[in-house]
Amino acid sequence: MSTHRLSFTLNGTKHELEVAADRLLIEVIRDDCGATGTKLGCAVGVCGACSVLVDGELLSACLLPAVFADGRRITTVEGLAKNDLTPLQDAFIREGGFQCGICTPGQLIAATALLSEQPRPDHEAIRTWMMGNLCRCTGYYGIERAIQKASGVGGQSPPNRL
Amino acid sequence: MTGVAERSASILDQPEYRVEGRDKVTGAARYAADVVMPGMLQAAYVTSPYAHARIVSIDVSAARALPGVRAVITGADTKPGRLGRRLQDWPILCWDRVLFIGDRVAAIAADTAAIADEAARLVEVEYEELPAVLDADAALAAGAPVLHPDAANYAFLGGTRAQRSHPNVQGQALHEHGDVEAGFRTSHKVYEHTFTLPRTHQAYIEPRATLVWLDGETVRVVTTNKAPFALRQHMSVALGVPEPRIVVDAGHIGGDFGGKGLSIDEFVLYHLARATGRPVRALTRYADDLQATNTRHAATITLRTGVDAEGRILAHTSRVLFDGGAYAAGKPVITLMPGDAMLTLAGYRVPAARVEATTVYTNQVPAGHARAPGQPQNAFAAESHIDLIARDLAIDPLEFRERNIVRHGDVDVTGKPWHGTDGPALLARLRTASRYGPSLARPNQVNWWGWGVALGVRHVGRGRASMVLRTLAGGRVELRTGVSDQGGGAHTLFQRIVAAELSIPLDRVAVSRGTTDAVLSDPGVGGSRVTPVQGSAALDAARKLNAKLAELGRSIDDASEIEVTGEAAQETHEASTYAYALRVTIDRETGSLKIDDATLVADVGKVINPVALRGQLEGGFIFGLGQAVMEELRVEDGRVVTANLGDYKLPTIADAPPLRIELITDHPGPGPFGAKSVGELANPAVGAAVANAVQDACGARVMSLPVTAEKIWAELPK
Ligand code: FES
Ligand code: FES
Repeated sequence: MSTHRLSFTLNGTKHELEVAADRLLIEVIRDDCGATGTKLGCAVGVCGACSVLVDGELLSACLLPAVFADGRRITTVEGLAKNDLTPLQDAFIREGGFQCGICTPGQLIAATALLSEQPRPDHEAIRTWMMGNLCRCTGYYGIERAIQKASGVGGQSPPNRL
Repeated sequence: MTGVAERSASILDQPEYRVEGRDKVTGAARYAADVVMPGMLQAAYVTSPYAHARIVSIDVSAARALPGVRAVITGADTKPGRLGRRLQDWPILCWDRVLFIGDRVAAIAADTAAIADEAARLVEVEYEELPAVLDADAALAAGAPVLHPDAANYAFLGGTRAQRSHPNVQGQALHEHGDVEAGFRTSHKVYEHTFTLPRTHQAYIEPRATLVWLDGETVRVVTTNKAPFALRQHMSVALGVPEPRIVVDAGHIGGDFGGKGLSIDEFVLYHLARATGRPVRALTRYADDLQATNTRHAATITLRTGVDAEGRILAHTSRVLFDGGAYAAGKPVITLMPGDAMLTLAGYRVPAARVEATTVYTNQVPAGHARAPGQPQNAFAAESHIDLIARDLAIDPLEFRERNIVRHGDVDVTGKPWHGTDGPALLARLRTASRYGPSLARPNQVNWWGWGVALGVRHVGRGRASMVLRTLAGGRVELRTGVSDQGGGAHTLFQRIVAAELSIPLDRVAVSRGTTDAVLSDPGVGGSRVTPVQGSAALDAARKLNAKLAELGRSIDDASEIEVTGEAAQETHEASTYAYALRVTIDRETGSLKIDDATLVADVGKVINPVALRGQLEGGFIFGLGQAVMEELRVEDGRVVTANLGDYKLPTIADAPPLRIELITDHPGPGPFGAKSVGELANPAVGAAVANAVQDACGARVMSLPVTAEKIWAELPK
């Protein structure tokens, strides 16, 4: 198997590695770089748990050959918060945007990409964009509330006594 | 209790903020697959391609010779080890026969996963195929192959296994109360219907991950199992290692839904770790999780019910047959059936009933527990059956339920008097909240839209738990628990309970989880147990701390080094009820259905975590909706053919219809401050609500799940 020299930026940090041609980006991010925030779910490009931004583009790291990352800028969930949480991260906590949290890195990455394209997405826009990110826990309502809240459009915490 | 509720009110009115929230939104939360150890090896398995076969020979020499392979073991090395939650009938590795496609016959530990996989391909196994039992009825036929001839030698944890009527029975039970024959004799009409339910998968997004290593005499386990103390016991019995020498670390779990109470990797990894002297990890591929772990039981359910001229239920019998697959190992219940196997007409007044349920062995993927085990099957059958009866009697289905819903002191299908939810009040709320429109006002007319109602009942969890609360400097306290976090929000729940009871700000209560050697024994997450049982232990700890402070005459601000143990034994049999009204539209060209609007009314008792509670109900609804309209683990000749998440369809955000939730909170439950449980409250009844709405909309009655466009189309009245 041929190996390739690879250099990319992960959440602002430069990485240079030697990788076999068949290695996937998710493996390199998690195993070689130790950034385990990005999760492996279905491994076939369906669930979105492995969503990352490559030069700002939303992609599934479980399908991408690692060599694809050469010379690019990758953002994962670890790269979202600077010191404070982003409004989207905070809204995910307050609005019930996650339960078990396994899909959350991917949901946050996908929603970050959505908000950078459409700062005020409506209900249909959120549904269309977020369809590629499965969540088995929340039923998606909390995720939508969180995205709305972060976009300043809506989101309402449930009152304590409904 | 009133005093407590008042004292706690202001704390419980604080916004809920998950204690693990920051970790989960920054990627810092540690899941089992994120843990690595120096020198760690990766495992792979050789699995059976046959549903039933005898192993003639295994040749591992080529696999052993592959560079980077550190150990190859077979059933000869693990024999007679078997694993399981109650009955240990699942071989760690098979040594003489394989019982389903995916059963393991050899295991490899290698430097990398790729090498381990390559070695698995090099193992040569010769099989002699045997006749397979592929459906539940065939399992009980006279002359059916006996799948577990050595059952008498299997370990059975905590009790004795009941007698069985046939060697292929995993478990069976019979319940009877009242005079059933007299009830049918005096009935105005008697109805009988049969329903079928497919296998489904829990479909947590996180596949299983397990890491095992030996640390001197101690076996260390990092796992996705949601009940670490129970796992420790299962391992101890199966491996012959004393419990104190096994330490289980189960941190954040990426979804459970009942499936992760069964572990199958820890046992073989222990043998691989011993063989290699190195840590060994198994990361389950999603495809393998779908094909070879434990599914929800497929079932065939026949219900027979007699009613009087006003549509009141007089007598009921039922026969439930569950396909348990190759092993019963996934079921923790002493009857070796899915938890609520017997609840075939839950929520109604049933003066006389005979309920028979049986779970059998087949050569299919094993079945275990899945969110509200047994209930989605029984609720689909019962709530479809009720609707069919109502329609035949020309009584509005909601009104039929109002006439029959169990009231305080009535006997329900269990034969016990009811003390749960005020059913009539619940249905009244449903009627107004959903703006339910009487459907039979338009008989013989197809509108292509309609209403479906369904009712569900779930017990409030029972059991025992304990945890330690200690004071820290600065008026802070720390609660130490063995409860792992599977997403339900347990740690935040404990924080809010303790803060409320101690009347201190939330941020002064830290909740920490410990491994099995570091905290008190805990029954794990499941059985609708966390809020009423572990929550009550947290409350008890806070109460004891208050009492101790009072006794010492100290305030929490100057009380360091005080430690108390909170304990709870929640044995109250209580149930809570919920109901749906759905409005659907059917596409008259394709038969496809769209849910226009859904209303859920649920009796939840006191709300402690408002965000998590709503999330459980919303998530439960969509979980139920997936199983209602799209999910089916399809099996052909014993082989799972929906073997990835592209083929095994789950709901996406675009499938989530408008959902209105109304809570009933004025009927206190046995949990802290009057709380009940909600994690398994919302999912079971969705299937019937959909099927009922479909019939109302277009006349098509679908008698099986999922309710697909093809089935609706096929059942349209011609
Ligand atoms: S893990 Fe990549 S899409 Fe599911
Ligand atoms: S939070 Fe568990 S899968 Fe989304």
